[in-house]
Amino acid sequence: MSKNLKGYRGNAKKLLEKKNLKIWDILQIKTKKTEYQGILLPRNEYSDEKFIEIKLENNYNVGIHYNDISEIKKIGEKEAHYKIPEKKFPKSKDLPEITLLGTGGTVASRLDYTTGAVIPAFTPGELFSAVPELAEICNLETEILFKMLSENMKPDVWQTLAKKVETLAHSGKEGIIIAHGTDTMGYTSAALSFMLQNLSIPVVLVGSQRSSDRPSSDAAINLINAATVATSDIAEVVVVMLGSSSHEYGLIHKGTLVRKMHTSYRNTFRTIDDIPMGLVKSRTIRMLKENYRTKKSQSSKKTTKALTNFEDKIGMIYSYPGLTNEELNFYIDKGYKGIVIMGTGLGHVNTRVFDSIKRGIEEDILFIMTSQTLHGFIGMNVYSTGRELLDLGVIPAHNLIPETAYVKLGWVLGNSDSLQEAKQLFLTNIADEFLEREVPIAFNYDIEDLL
Amino acid sequence: MEFDYNNLGLKCGLEIHQQLNSNTKLFCRCPNELQGTRKPDFTLKREMRPVLGEMGAFDQAMLTEYEKDISIVYECYNDVMCTYEIDETPPFECNEEARRIAIQIAQLLNSNVIEEMHVCRKNYLDGSVPGGFQRTMILAKDGYITLENDKKIGIDIICLEEDAARLIKAVQKTNYFRLDRLGIPLVEITTKPDISHPNECKECAERLGLLLWSTNVKKVLGSIRQDVNVSIKEGTRIEIKGVQKLDWIPLLINHEISRQLNLIKIKKELHNRELKAESIVDEPLDLSKELAKSKCNFVAKGIKSGKKLFGINCKGLKGIFGTQLMPDYRFGTEVSSKVKSISGLKGLIHSDENLKKYNFSEEDLKIMRQKLHSQDDDCYILVLGKKKEFEKALEVIKKRVIYAFKGVPPETRRALENGNTEFLRELHGGARLYPDTDSQAILNTDDEINIITDSLPEYPWIIIDRYSKKYNTEPRTIKELIFNDYLPLFDKIIEIYPENPTLIFTTLLETTTALKRDGKHIENITDEDYMRIFTLLKKKEIGKEAIEEMMITKTENPHTPIHEIKEKLGIEKVDMDELDEILSEIVKKSEQLIKEQEMRAMGPLMGDAMQKLRGKIDGAVISKHLKNLIQEKLKEMK
Repeated sequence: MSKNLKGYRGNAKKLLEKKNLKIWDILQIKTKKTEYQGILLPRNEYSDEKFIEIKLENNYNVGIHYNDISEIKKIGEKEAHYKIPEKKFPKSKDLPEITLLGTGGTVASRLDYTTGAVIPAFTPGELFSAVPELAEICNLETEILFKMLSENMKPDVWQTLAKKVETLAHSGKEGIIIAHGTDTMGYTSAALSFMLQNLSIPVVLVGSQRSSDRPSSDAAINLINAATVATSDIAEVVVVMLGSSSHEYGLIHKGTLVRKMHTSYRNTFRTIDDIPMGLVKSRTIRMLKENYRTKKSQSSKKTTKALTNFEDKIGMIYSYPGLTNEELNFYIDKGYKGIVIMGTGLGHVNTRVFDSIKRGIEEDILFIMTSQTLHGFIGMNVYSTGRELLDLGVIPAHNLIPETAYVKLGWVLGNSDSLQEAKQLFLTNIADEFLEREVPIAFNYDIEDLL
Repeated sequence: MEFDYNNLGLKCGLEIHQQLNSNTKLFCRCPNELQGTRKPDFTLKREMRPVLGEMGAFDQAMLTEYEKDISIVYECYNDVMCTYEIDETPPFECNEEARRIAIQIAQLLNSNVIEEMHVCRKNYLDGSVPGGFQRTMILAKDGYITLENDKKIGIDIICLEEDAARLIKAVQKTNYFRLDRLGIPLVEITTKPDISHPNECKECAERLGLLLWSTNVKKVLGSIRQDVNVSIKEGTRIEIKGVQKLDWIPLLINHEISRQLNLIKIKKELHNRELKAESIVDEPLDLSKELAKSKCNFVAKGIKSGKKLFGINCKGLKGIFGTQLMPDYRFGTEVSSKVKSISGLKGLIHSDENLKKYNFSEEDLKIMRQKLHSQDDDCYILVLGKKKEFEKALEVIKKRVIYAFKGVPPETRRALENGNTEFLRELHGGARLYPDTDSQAILNTDDEINIITDSLPEYPWIIIDRYSKKYNTEPRTIKELIFNDYLPLFDKIIEIYPENPTLIFTTLLETTTALKRDGKHIENITDEDYMRIFTLLKKKEIGKEAIEEMMITKTENPHTPIHEIKEKLGIEKVDMDELDEILSEIVKKSEQLIKEQEMRAMGPLMGDAMQKLRGKIDGAVISKHLKNLIQEKLKEMK
């Protein structure tokens, strides 16, 4: 019974149970003052337990207090079938074979009554029906690997994705699109950048900031842009999302340099410390950077190798005025292997926590320094605090944003046999994540100026 | 045009939209203010795609809208807008003030307030809302409004929702919207189809308007908008949008009845002719080659520029396209305007028209008839355009002609000033509603509702009745005061100057209208200004003739206080001795005239007197004194 009354609790549920009613029943309800007729809807389980929720004949939804109901009876049934109509995705001999891997996120989503939020769902048929332009760009296959909100992802997701890309590249796919929730898309793009060695095809992460259940969604244009990049010769892990609030062009961001910078704007993703790799508009790519790896630079599609070992016990510490040894000692006591510090300014923490850092280093924990300013290089030679931290053995992450440093540290520790090797590997440029210089325009770049 | 409405089974309903006067918008904290013609700071480009409704179905009207292939540009401001209006931030808490105003309106309309409201998304693809949907919720249902004859018109639902953006222009296939209006709280009142006469519909709309304007709503031009639903037996429900004036309502309804009756007549005629809907429209033919050198200039030019001329023959359809549905509006116009709206083409030509007026030669016509195998009983249609547009147009033509066999297609139509209507879009169904996943349910508690119920304002028709009796004036005058939002000001002025209510009515209604017509900014005259002017009048420091001049001066010098305006205009108090002195002077100068014209000289002399004394003293006093002086003079002369 409870399965048929999804989300209902308390007295409202009791009433419905007593009358033997279930979700999708069409009900006639009399209250003290008026009458209602409508379909009993599933209810968000976090909402008020005193109400039952119905969809009236005019399709508006209302909640009725159980106590007001003097009469309630079933007069029919009508279940919602919220599903985008499937149309067979047409294939064309001349178009490249692309696989779209689903992980979740709002790029393809539908209503979840339990929480009232949106949950992922898609097939090539649905996608073709929703974004038929895709069939003009590629032959698309889809595979759902996860149905997960990106905030719930753990490093094992990256490992599965990397192995999948390796297999697909070896099977002759020309490019991969990964549909991903935007919250942790930057982490995944960084992780795949490190894990996918000698990548021979484009791996494009894409999402949407407005879910695809609304007409104004950016999902369609982002998917079209992602497919355009996935069929290009860019053999890198990139994020492709809208470059402005307008539905005009997408930006191609390097997987290790990209960061979500706004809670809700469509153009939330920005390349940090550099300009974006390129721009994609009306199915045409315009590169803004010259140095990127191409398919041609790889000898064959077989070169792609997924090196997926990862050390999970990595912590991130935010440097703030109240930071104490206690907090740092917690990680050390719990056996963490590496800690990324999001330092203030050029890469600082208060000198009071030097004790615990010293202790951690003595216990073979790798400390990486990044900056909470996000932009700019770490500069630990400028002030005495920085110099002392260097002296203690803290490793400066140069231009790395904290998230990329975190991912890299986990990957480095997962793939090293010794601490010394790990230190060295961390300071090695694996996926062009270290910049040689920060071009002046990189801070607050305006795309108009780059064109 | 008059009909036997009972016999026709006329049913009308109203949908009234009224902006509320809360400080801020419904789901964000931006000011509830329009920016007029102020230049926008930046623009955004967007595109919309159709989405499913909650029950998993596409709304047909939405798919038709998508067919139009419209691009959207939003015109935005940096200071009076936030990221919510550009669909870049989820909604904030629902505005409490707006919700309370809406509850008050619901109570005045005897409706049952919904205790737990659920915000829904009403999807639109025309771009009028950047999210692609309007956030809306049912606030109350099942109420009524009483007409003068005590007939009750049912209120179906009252919704609280956000206003859409302002359409500024539509250039080719791009709609330009300005986002200042977007998100202003709105109540939408939908009546039941209980209205059975065009005049009753007007009265109901007027009463709803008056009732709304007795609450805290926005009282400016465009803050209230009404749509009318019309249906007759055998016809269908047609939604007429954009009815800007109450006076239009009866005319629009009558024209719509005429349209529906004629469409029913066409349906019967088609059945009489024993035509078959499925086979009536022949396959189209490309006539571009044959008509490349047509005498019809725009056809020849069009073909030369790469467009194609398509001909479609409709078997046995002669006379149907030429059938008049409303004044100056034939079935051909109906099909043509739908083609225009959906395909973007300029329209179509059909053989029920006098084709020679387009300069087609006999030869042209002969070729077309031959190529299309068009017989005498047939009607053929010509469409000029690009292939893709034509394909859309052909779909529209086919569908519309086939629907003629069924009668009146349900649709949303736009009101035109001449009482006609034109196709706007397909009738939106419930399939476009979707729960708003960005917001939580909103509670209207009994306590809250009771507090509001205890302090409801008086019904405006009761106020109108009382005022018109008390001040001995037409009810229409009081209505005007309410619709111009001058009633509170009238109350203040009448307290200062109870002597002459008519003068106050004239000042607030006629003088302001005249000044507005002359392009004066009467908004520069504040309530306090009016009160000061009438205080001066009360103290007899000015005559009533001075009022208009002072108002004009104030509109031009908004920062000058009234007493300075009085000085500026040289309005000084004239006492009776001075008055007689001035008038005697005038009379003395005009002895000859008085001698010839006797009392008829009064007119011209009054003119002279007013020139010197306008505004300084009441014209009636001048007239009385002047009359006495002339009479005295005449006596003297005799």
